[in-house]
Amino acid sequence: MNEILNLNLITTIIRISPPLAFAALGGLLTFKAGILNIAMDGFMLVAAFTGVAAAYFTGNLYISVVAAVLASMVLSALFGYFNLKFKANIFIAGTAIGILASGLTAVLLKGIFGQMGVFTAREVLRFPQYKIPIIDSIPVLRELFSGYTILVYMAFIFTPIISFVLYKTKWGLRVRAVGESPDAAAALGINVFSIKMQTVILSGLFCGLGGAYLSLDYVSLFSRDMTADRGLIALAAIFFAKGDPFKTVAVTMLFGSAQALSVRMQLTAGIAPQIMQIIPYFVTMLALVIVGIQAKRKHFNIEATTAR
Amino acid sequence: MEIRKLTNKKILIEIGRPIITIAIALLIGAAIIALMGEDPVLAYSMLFKGAFKGLGNIIATLQNTTPLLFTGLAVSFAFRSNVTNIGVEGQMLFGALAAGIVGYYVHLPWFLHIPLAIIAAGLAGALWAYIPAIMKAKLNVNEMVVCLMLNPIALLITGYLSSYPLKAPGPTNKTFDIMKTARLPQFSNSSQFNAGFFIAIALLLMFWYINNHTKKGYEWKLIGQNPVFARYGGINVERNVVQIFLLSGMVAGFAGAEQVLGVYGAFYNGFSPGYGFDGIAVAMLAKFNPLAVSLSALLLGALNSGSIVMQMMTSVTRDIVKVLQAVIVLLLAADFTLDMFLKKRRDDAAGRKKAKLEIEKP
Repeated sequence: MNEILNLNLITTIIRISPPLAFAALGGLLTFKAGILNIAMDGFMLVAAFTGVAAAYFTGNLYISVVAAVLASMVLSALFGYFNLKFKANIFIAGTAIGILASGLTAVLLKGIFGQMGVFTAREVLRFPQYKIPIIDSIPVLRELFSGYTILVYMAFIFTPIISFVLYKTKWGLRVRAVGESPDAAAALGINVFSIKMQTVILSGLFCGLGGAYLSLDYVSLFSRDMTADRGLIALAAIFFAKGDPFKTVAVTMLFGSAQALSVRMQLTAGIAPQIMQIIPYFVTMLALVIVGIQAKRKHFNIEATTAR
Repeated sequence: MEIRKLTNKKILIEIGRPIITIAIALLIGAAIIALMGEDPVLAYSMLFKGAFKGLGNIIATLQNTTPLLFTGLAVSFAFRSNVTNIGVEGQMLFGALAAGIVGYYVHLPWFLHIPLAIIAAGLAGALWAYIPAIMKAKLNVNEMVVCLMLNPIALLITGYLSSYPLKAPGPTNKTFDIMKTARLPQFSNSSQFNAGFFIAIALLLMFWYINNHTKKGYEWKLIGQNPVFARYGGINVERNVVQIFLLSGMVAGFAGAEQVLGVYGAFYNGFSPGYGFDGIAVAMLAKFNPLAVSLSALLLGALNSGSIVMQMMTSVTRDIVKVLQAVIVLLLAADFTLDMFLKKRRDDAAGRKKAKLEIEKP
């Protein structure tokens, strides 16, 4: 009984993690390039809406995912252009993109579908569940790792890929160089604008997948502001994990489980949902304080040695 | 003559830019409305009528303007000194909760109760703003990242307190209704327009005076334009940044007080539709000038107020206002940083020159 509950919990966590993981991977690319991407909620929201709208009009899930990703990438390009070309403050541009996405999707929800809060496509389309050959014949592993939809597998497959790209390829080196010292990178002949823009648009791609998963796979509907700060939580995870790809995805899963558990804990243990929901932000604040103190100490040490 | 011509031209650009921005936003909004098969002219005329036709609507617009006066002032005061306090939303929430607590649990005659509740709200807002301030000053942690985390934390903490320990009986997650002695006087039967509006106007005038006619105001401006130069001039930048944060948080706290003492009469969980974020748009439209905040807050307040009527009369939802606001902020953010960037370079050069001169002095 207990074991089943635990397995159930783990599969729940695996199923709620993809949007956070996608956002974290996208955010990681921009983070490494020295961009704090707070517009990811907006990207995901627009993707989620576009996905449902495309599913409604085409009836094809894969076309809908592509449409969602494209919409998200267009928005990310807009964001990147305003920040990088027009020098708009990243936080202000990001906040504006978030408000734009929230307002625009709500207006279109009413304008196209005549709905104020929630829209469900007429017929519910479902992604097929993939069974992994050998694992599917082993009892516990089958429950844990087999039978998910393609987007779930993609979220986890992309983690090592992103890590490889960032740390083992020329492009990854350029991204990190741009992030650590844009001036030095520019002096080496790297096109800083272009590299940063590429990471922003790629973050749009990943957020697009995350948004599409939310509205086409995790649930089959679009509701207002359905991303529920997932972009912000992903960003918190990146800070907490100091930008390491594997750690970041692991932390997003932890944060995701805190969110998932908030409802369960209230029902079973009577713990207020806010207490679980606050965890990601709270531990990230603590991490910021610790990193700040460490950096300060290091700075003092350097000053002390140079003084000597 | 030549100089006067230039300044006239500059003034024209200063005024022209926000107007052009608003026009572009309205055009984009109109295009979206038209794409959905609605009549943009009808929608906008409903918006305008809803905001300004008849005394009742005008007063409702002023009521919608009031919180934006506070949050717009809080943001612009900080941004003017390049202190990017984007945590106004959270500071306002704590201010509101403090006003709700003092308004219910303390018993005093009204002439003491109202000021005490407002002061408590200001202190609560300032206290919440102290966190990013001290982290910036002592640990050099980016204040915007901290504020970004603190906003949801504030929403969740105040939400928890108003849903559990401080919850009044009943289905709604809210605190107990405040005492009558803590209520800000209301001036209208049809809306919640209250004395908070005049407090906001007084604050705007006060901050305008501080900014332009005091030494402190000059120092704060200098910090915004060029912190290095300010430091050369003997200004303790870190300490001033903390002070700016505290004052900005205090004004944000007052915004919460107005909502609780003047509008709702209690702290309701999640009462704010994002006044703190609206404050960013207000501040940017006003170019961080306290007097201009009154106009830009009125504009956004009118949009918020009129959109309710528009939503009732047409099939366009009031969310279109969010779109307009986002476009305005995006366009202004683009030109404002470009502007600041150019200015900064100039000031940097001036600062270097001055510093060099001072060093060369025997």
